[in-house]
Amino acid sequence: MDNKRAEIRSIIKDTKSLPTLPGVIAKLTSLAENSKASVNEMARVVSSDQVLSAKVLRLVNSPFYGFSGRVSTISNALILLGVNVVKSLALSSSIFEMMEKNTVGLWEHSLGAGVAANIIARKLELPEIEEISTAALLHDIGKVIIKIKLESDYDHLIALIKEKDMSMLEAEKDLLDADHAEIGEWLARSWFLPEKLIEPIAFHHDVERASTQLVKTAVVHVADVLVKASGFGFSGDDYVPRIQAVAWNKLGLNEIFLEEIVGELEDKLVDCKNFSLEIQSEGDTKT
Amino acid sequence: MTQKLRIAVISKDRDFSSQLGLWLEGKGFQPILLHELGSVLGIIYGDPPDVVIADLRHGGSEIQDLIRDFKGDSYFSMLPVIGIFEENADETFTWSDCPLDDFITHPFNHSVFFSRINLSLQRIERVLDNNPLTKLPGNTSIQNAIEKALGRDLAVCYIDINNFKPYNDTYGFSHGDEVLRMVARIMANCVRDAGPGGFSGHVGGDDFVFIVTLEKAESVCQTILDHFRIIVSDLFGEEEKARGSYRASDRQGNEQNIPLLGIAIAVIPMNTPKMTHFGKVAEVSAEMKKFAKKSGESCYVVDRRKT
Repeated sequence: MDNKRAEIRSIIKDTKSLPTLPGVIAKLTSLAENSKASVNEMARVVSSDQVLSAKVLRLVNSPFYGFSGRVSTISNALILLGVNVVKSLALSSSIFEMMEKNTVGLWEHSLGAGVAANIIARKLELPEIEEISTAALLHDIGKVIIKIKLESDYDHLIALIKEKDMSMLEAEKDLLDADHAEIGEWLARSWFLPEKLIEPIAFHHDVERASTQLVKTAVVHVADVLVKASGFGFSGDDYVPRIQAVAWNKLGLNEIFLEEIVGELEDKLVDCKNFSLEIQSEGDTKT
Repeated sequence: MTQKLRIAVISKDRDFSSQLGLWLEGKGFQPILLHELGSVLGIIYGDPPDVVIADLRHGGSEIQDLIRDFKGDSYFSMLPVIGIFEENADETFTWSDCPLDDFITHPFNHSVFFSRINLSLQRIERVLDNNPLTKLPGNTSIQNAIEKALGRDLAVCYIDINNFKPYNDTYGFSHGDEVLRMVARIMANCVRDAGPGGFSGHVGGDDFVFIVTLEKAESVCQTILDHFRIIVSDLFGEEEKARGSYRASDRQGNEQNIPLLGIAIAVIPMNTPKMTHFGKVAEVSAEMKKFAKKSGESCYVVDRRKT
């Protein structure tokens, strides 16, 4: 089984890029044609896509620019890289071959988690809201690796989840000897992403293990659970985990507060759905 | 106006070098033909040429030693050296043994050789003047750019980081360098986004210069200030940001509050009659920077004085 872990790690070492949804690229193409596109507009579109965000953060944290492990938000990455560099990066991205349900579902789930984390962080008046949203957006990047780079394993995973009624996490551990959280962590480390983003990605299913980024990890965990419970997007299975006690206590949550968050999230997810449909239709027309 | 570019030709082949010399003269260069290898270094050090052409077809190893010698001196390492090889000899040449900048094989197409000479000059100028930390053009390029801007509807803007020294002392050089790289990127990106004709340079330390059209100058300054404010959020912890300062000890070892990093920009319009030469621009910029730094906050100041 050690072999499987070594195989995945070596695949990650060679992973410089991951495909993006065609609709997201189409949206950025139209922004790129508009010479007045500002950093803010670009940041909004880039922040809607976990793959593109990871790629932008990878570039700005690469040793070439000399900011290794420092830049944790998309707007800071855009300021330092410049709109032109990000435009070219997006336009040279490969695209997901098929717009199948699972790809769009995972993209929506990540988008929803980013939105949920933003609401939670804002309501709790936490510092570094943008970092927390970015961490939530990226929390399932390991699943993209499994889907794209371990294609045959991915098919087995889906079959296993259906047959044995397992959760995605259990099925991954069974089949790959590693789960998407750990795989995401490997990718984040190999791409020199900041620790602020790595821990929430690595421990969003096991908040207790977070050491320096406990609050951020707790928010990402809760955001993940709430989006799954809302039924928005599809993260691989329909199983909704319980909010872990350590996260609940660390954030000082209570039922009333949670209801407020859920209420606001429901509203925001309607906007997300519209955005998603727009992205899907742009993808259809441009490809 | 400008002096003829001086090209040294090191070759043991007198016929070849005198022919090459005639051709170089015809192309408007001033050739210096060097046959006595013993005196080559003295001549190069004493009166440095602009480009060296080294004929490595005869006595190559001795000439290679010479090239290694003067290229080993940091000042002369900037001197471009083009090697001449026998056809196919370049394939077996050990490039790491001899610091050449370019080569050409004999017999050569003269127009290609001419382009190689010009290209090597351009390349050295580009590489040498760039600041190694930020990769931005340095003082020679800055002076040229400012001289070209005199009298036109352009603004020369000087950026300086407030409280950079204590930051560097407290957080260490590597973090200080990171801040300089960040300012360089922010400035260069904003200047590029403002459209063609702009220029970004790094004077050294925490001093930067950019040139944009007068019309866009204030909006570029504002964007740079905004972007720097956002970036500062990645440089300090939550506590420092909330307090707006950090604790650091001064030279006497006394603890004191140092404000977070900010930047000051002095904007000098070039379309006024008083801007007659580079020295005047530097002088006015020093005065304006004092104004800009007075408040201690990030800001830009435009020189609107008529005289």
